[in-house]
Formats: sequence, structure tokens, C-alpha cells
Amino acid sequence: GGGRGGAGGKKVVVEPHRHPGVFIARSKDDDMLLTKNMVVGESVYGEKRISVDGENQEKIEYRVWNPFRSKLGAAILSGVDNIHMPPGTKVLYLGAASGTTVSHVSDIVGPEGLVYAVEFSHRSGRDLLNVAKKRTNIIPIIEDARHPHKYRMLIGMVDTIFADVAQPDQARIVALNAHHFLKNGGNFVISIKASCIDSTASPEAVFAGEVKKLQSEKLKPKEQLTLEPYERDHAIVVGNYRPVGKSK
Amino acid sequence: MSNLYILFEHASGYALFRVREFEEIGMNLPQVEASVVDLSKFATVVKLVGFYPFQSGVNALDNINAVSEGLVHDDLRTFLDTNLPKEKKRAKMILGVADSRIASAINEHFSISCQHTGVIPELLRGLRLHFPNLVKGLTDQNQSKAQLGLGHAYSRAKVKFNVNRVDNMII
Repeated sequence: GGGRGGAGGKKVVVEPHRHPGVFIARSKDDDMLLTKNMVVGESVYGEKRISVDGENQEKIEYRVWNPFRSKLGAAILSGVDNIHMPPGTKVLYLGAASGTTVSHVSDIVGPEGLVYAVEFSHRSGRDLLNVAKKRTNIIPIIEDARHPHKYRMLIGMVDTIFADVAQPDQARIVALNAHHFLKNGGNFVISIKASCIDSTASPEAVFAGEVKKLQSEKLKPKEQLTLEPYERDHAIVVGNYRPVGKSK
Repeated sequence: MSNLYILFEHASGYALFRVREFEEIGMNLPQVEASVVDLSKFATVVKLVGFYPFQSGVNALDNINAVSEGLVHDDLRTFLDTNLPKEKKRAKMILGVADSRIASAINEHFSISCQHTGVIPELLRGLRLHFPNLVKGLTDQNQSKAQLGLGHAYSRAKVKFNVNRVDNMII
């Protein structure tokens, strides 16, 4: 039956989060970040599931999203203003890894949305392919995000790019992909790990440098926040690409 | 005056477009950028000349493997040969393509001058945005289906995915 795990039988109330498609479970001792499980009855990476009664007696199942294992989850709990992934969004996800966060993005954008999930490592790629087998809104792409022309046949224009590639040339990688695939007025959400860019400079200096690089590529950063206490020396930068309606 | 054509490779097949107002647009990037956003405007800029739908999943995989390596697949060669202007006129035309390697590969086969910079990336953004509306029979849904099927096939081949082994693990 439902209610397995997580709450341990205690009363749980699930509320929609400020970000459409994201939910929060409120119980006595703590709150948990959730997404509505698109593949009911299955966990992706051993995460707990919670099911609650919906309006018409039906059960709705959610999956618990651990912010210590997901930069996007951490960003949401750190109060990021906008993740730009409401249901129906087409997302290009660079650095999909094994597909754990990707599976939550898949839940969030739902059956009307799409996640183009790019990952170069074959080892993670195998896991990603397995996640994508069950979730038909994930298009798996095992290829180097540095060479978008190699996978140009697989991707349409997207609303949002999410990037967690942890590479020194991350800004350039995001820009290249944006020029190919990101709609005018589309948005980007980038996770920056300071030590991956430059381990000798201060994290603040690294973040400022990355923001400059993005600006030079028509990527206009709007918001920056750190992921303490979930990650050390990580920042999330959110912004807009070729803003629409502004004269040049 | 030279004619501009553009090759667009999609998961569902190859498409060739002629850029109609190239003479007027010329190389004016801001004007191209403005025309790309709006479908009704863009549809007056490009005209579909030909579309070759891939015959099967295997056929599509074969072709994406060639495209991603910058090679001209036999299907692409036949498609271009059928749909490009007659050979005498090819000296005067320019073919816009997505990357430099396929540009030089096509140039070798057909002696056509290819271009992948300037207004071309911008026009390709427009084609990517409006593609299902420019090819009859394509919808936003079935174009994503084609991407989904081909994405799995391409990626499985990349990791030399053993379907049987994983199935065994599940059982």
C-alpha cells in the first residue's frame, strides 16, 4: 500500500511548491521536496515514494527529491526565484549523468514536456538509457556536449537549458548549445562548481568570471545563488537568452 | 545573382530549402534574426524544395552516424543530386549547412560552395523552430517521436548497450 517510507506512517500533507510541477511534503518533523511520479510504483535510484489520496479517492504518488544529491533540488530549497521548467517545457539538460535529477525534471515537465538529456560518460550513459526507457519524455543523447553539431539531428528548439557539466569551459559549452537550440527569450540554469573552473581563485572570483563569459554570449544572467549548505563552493546562475522585446 | 539553399538534417529525414529573399536579405544578420522568429514571416523567406523521410529506424541510425561524423551518406548524396538545381547551375549556388566538416564533404562530392557561418546558423535556428510547420505530415508530436527513437538508437550504439544483459538483470 501507499504511504510506504518517508513518513513512516505519520500524517503527511503534500502541497504544491511555488515552482509549478514541484511539491513539498509537510510533516511534523521535517519537510521534503517531491515530484509527482510519472512511473507510478517505481523508484529510479532508491529514493522513497509517498502516496497520498487525491481529489477523487485516487492515489497520487510522489518521489522524494534529496537536495544533497541534486543541485537543482538544492537550488529550489535555497530559494531560487525561477527554474523555468513548468509542465510542458522542453529542456536541454547538459551533464545528465545517471539520470537521477533528470528523472525529477521529467516528472516536473510531465508528459507534455521533453527532456533532451546529454551525457558523455558511457558508464553513466547506460544508467541514463535505463531511466529513459521507462520515461518517454526523456530523449537520451550519449555524446559530447562540446560538439552540439554531432547531435543536431536529435534536438528541436528548447525553452530552457540546464547545465551541470563541471568542466572548465562550461560557459562556452552552454553558449554553443544555446546558439544551436535555445529559443529567443529562452532561459538557462547553470550549476557552477568553482573548483572545476579554477581551483586557485576564490569561488566568488570564479563565479564573477563565469557570469562575464555568459554575458559575452548573449546569455544574460539574472540571478545567482550559492548552494550552501547542500554543496560547498557551488553557485547556480539563472538567466535569459536573447531577451525578446528589447531593441538592440 | 547566386541562389542560396539550405540543408536541414532532422531525425525524421533530410530537408532541402531554398531561401527566397536571399538577394534582399543578403548578409544582413539583424534582418534575418527578425524574420526567423515569426512563422508567417519565415515561411516567406524559405521554401521547401525536397524532403527525404528515413525509411526505417536502421536507415535513420545509419544516416545520423554519417552526419555526426561529417560524412555524406549515400542517401544524402542521392537526395541532394535529385533536389539541387541542374549541374550547370550549381556553380552559381551556395548551400548552407550546419558544420564545416559536412560542408567540405559535400563540396568534394558536388563541387558546390558550402557555407556554415554568417546568416546560415540563424536560418537553421528558424528551420529548427518551425520545421514541423514547414514539412507536410510532420507535427510537433511525431517529430519528437522520431527524435526519441533515434536518440535511443544512437545512444545505445554509443555505449554498446547490451539489451539482453539488462533484461536478465531485471528478471
